[in-house]
Amino acid sequence: MKIQVKMIGPLMYEAGFSEKEIEVPAATTADSLLDLIKVSRQRPKIVTRNGRAVAPDERLAEGDRIAISPIYSGG
Amino acid sequence: MYGWTGNILRVNLTTKTYKKEAYSEEFAQTWVGGRGFAAKILYDELKAGTDPLGPDNKFIVALGPIAGIPAPNTGKAVVAAKSPLTGFYGDGNLGTRVSEHLRKAGYDALIVEGKADRPTMLYIEDDKVEFLPADAVWGQGTYATNDWIYAKYGKGVGVLNIGQGGENLIRYAVVRSLEGRAGGRPGMGAVMGSKLLKAIVVKGSRPIPQADPANMKALGQGDLKKVGRIDKETGWSIQSTTGVLSFCNEVAGLPVRNFRKTHHPDAWKIDGERLNNARIATYGCPNCTMRCGITIHDKEGRESELDYENIGLLGANLEIFDLPQVGSLNYLCDEYGLDTMSAGCVLGFYADAIDHGATSGDFKFGDAERAKELLRMAAHREGKVGNLLADGSLRMAREFGHGSEAYAMQVKGLDVAAYNCKFIPGQALAFGVAAIGAHHREAWIITFEIKHTTRESYGPEKAAKVIELQRIRGGMFEFLVACRFPWIELGWSLDNYPKYFKASTGLDWTLDDMWTRADRIYGLIKLHFLREFPDTTRKADYPPAVWFDPANADTEGPIAGKVLDAEKYDGLLQHYYDQRGYDRRGIPTKATLDKLGLGREAAAVEKYARLY
Ligand code: SF4
Repeated sequence: MKIQVKMIGPLMYEAGFSEKEIEVPAATTADSLLDLIKVSRQRPKIVTRNGRAVAPDERLAEGDRIAISPIYSGG
Repeated sequence: MYGWTGNILRVNLTTKTYKKEAYSEEFAQTWVGGRGFAAKILYDELKAGTDPLGPDNKFIVALGPIAGIPAPNTGKAVVAAKSPLTGFYGDGNLGTRVSEHLRKAGYDALIVEGKADRPTMLYIEDDKVEFLPADAVWGQGTYATNDWIYAKYGKGVGVLNIGQGGENLIRYAVVRSLEGRAGGRPGMGAVMGSKLLKAIVVKGSRPIPQADPANMKALGQGDLKKVGRIDKETGWSIQSTTGVLSFCNEVAGLPVRNFRKTHHPDAWKIDGERLNNARIATYGCPNCTMRCGITIHDKEGRESELDYENIGLLGANLEIFDLPQVGSLNYLCDEYGLDTMSAGCVLGFYADAIDHGATSGDFKFGDAERAKELLRMAAHREGKVGNLLADGSLRMAREFGHGSEAYAMQVKGLDVAAYNCKFIPGQALAFGVAAIGAHHREAWIITFEIKHTTRESYGPEKAAKVIELQRIRGGMFEFLVACRFPWIELGWSLDNYPKYFKASTGLDWTLDDMWTRADRIYGLIKLHFLREFPDTTRKADYPPAVWFDPANADTEGPIAGKVLDAEKYDGLLQHYYDQRGYDRRGIPTKATLDKLGLGREAAAVEKYARLY
């Protein structure tokens, strides 16, 4: 299935892209997506699906917009 | 006493006199410094009803026991006074070499009283104080003023100055320092202007007394390097604070069109990625390895240094998705010495009020050229419109009527920072109960709300989180006087701060000891508020009414159809009051005041208002 992925802040340099559509296996979860796009798991992140936070084991669906962000703290 | 110099410099501009005043160790340990010193001094020395722009108001620069000593991000100073914007205690912090120099001159705070008889620059060098004419730069912006000062004294001195905004008593004029940024959102620059005080220049040459100078040096300088390393590893400062714009846009928390909308398809045009690509220089405060300011060329080719609040409020909130134009608006605010955040809210409110027929005018969202013109008019109080804009969104709304106060984006008169809480209840609470009005500095819990709780919750865990962060951000960092960014953005452990505190003062305080002081300071600022507004109600802790208005709900996107629920917000506010030990008006109860060690301060306020 195809999903749209947006990398936020410094994570875009780590992943090598800012935003793109990618093809992922049907059973991809929010957590397994992190392996597919090769960002380090060392630091905490927040993953949103269509603007709402997702649990790590939540399955993604065709056409989802996923954003992966570091934990910002509001300056 | 180590860590503290033990002295305050009191200067009177009317009589051109000054005094070095010693303070006790008890005072130091009770109020610690920075915001604590400022709140206590202004509480004791100002009467209720003092005109914020009259000679009886006092302008304070306050530092803390680790301020100015090389250690992570300690090049900050607190500026404070009674606010002409909010009508009670106001303050802010900014990066400046004044922090180090004032401490080296032998003072932890400066109190400026009275009013000069002509534009004045205060020059402080160790024990010497001079009252120098500043007519040559009166009417000039902050860049020219700073250059004039550097030409006289060299670049190494500490400088605080104001632009035309402060001179013309714009209620959201800030204090500027080119070694850092700007501070004192609630009109601290206007208070300087009301005293005809154009600039303060400080040069100190003595060592800051420290309990364990060798350890302080090793620890402080070593940790500065470590923080710099973590920053490099995480890449945080590639986009610095501006990375959060895309996050806010994703989760429907961005202010767009005077906060009417929460996201926008063009937001990417002014995001952290674009900003970093346009970067021509990097800017930072003294004693900082994170250097969070990103400088770009503005539309007119000038250098303009931006952060998230600037692009959020002067960009997205005005629907100006053109980075050089946002840079120009930011440059003008910096040049005039205006708070960029309030300026973005004021212009956004003006366009919205015109849209909604509350007033007539020719300003529309997206019109960058007219926005520049309006900023110039505001900074010079030019004509009716300039004067209106100069007084801030709440006063404008009261002038316009037609229910426009509902969408004047402020709390207690201070404009909301660049986070749209249309459906983020905990952060709405954080703005509602921030000590000085809607500031993001004290508690920011949006990621916590979205990741660790549910966005829909109005539960006690959110009130607890706000209190936890107020203690850290609005408390400890504001009284030790250091920038909170190593902790909030890089996860630099809070446990480091009692270590710095110990190396400096010799005192073994735990973080809990810090929270005790933080709670005391929050309690005292509440008494400041009560003294000025004895008839206050809990409505003073409500965010702007438009966030509760179903007609204002998003029609698409992640929070379509949702707004804050007034009844539930009131419940959340009550959780906060209960956990804080405040009464139903949001004022500490007598028992709480006793517990906080504010018995004497409570007795003083009872001349003006009731306590329960
Ligand atoms: S992180 Fe930014 S605001 Fe904080 S001290 Fe460094 S440059 Fe100043």
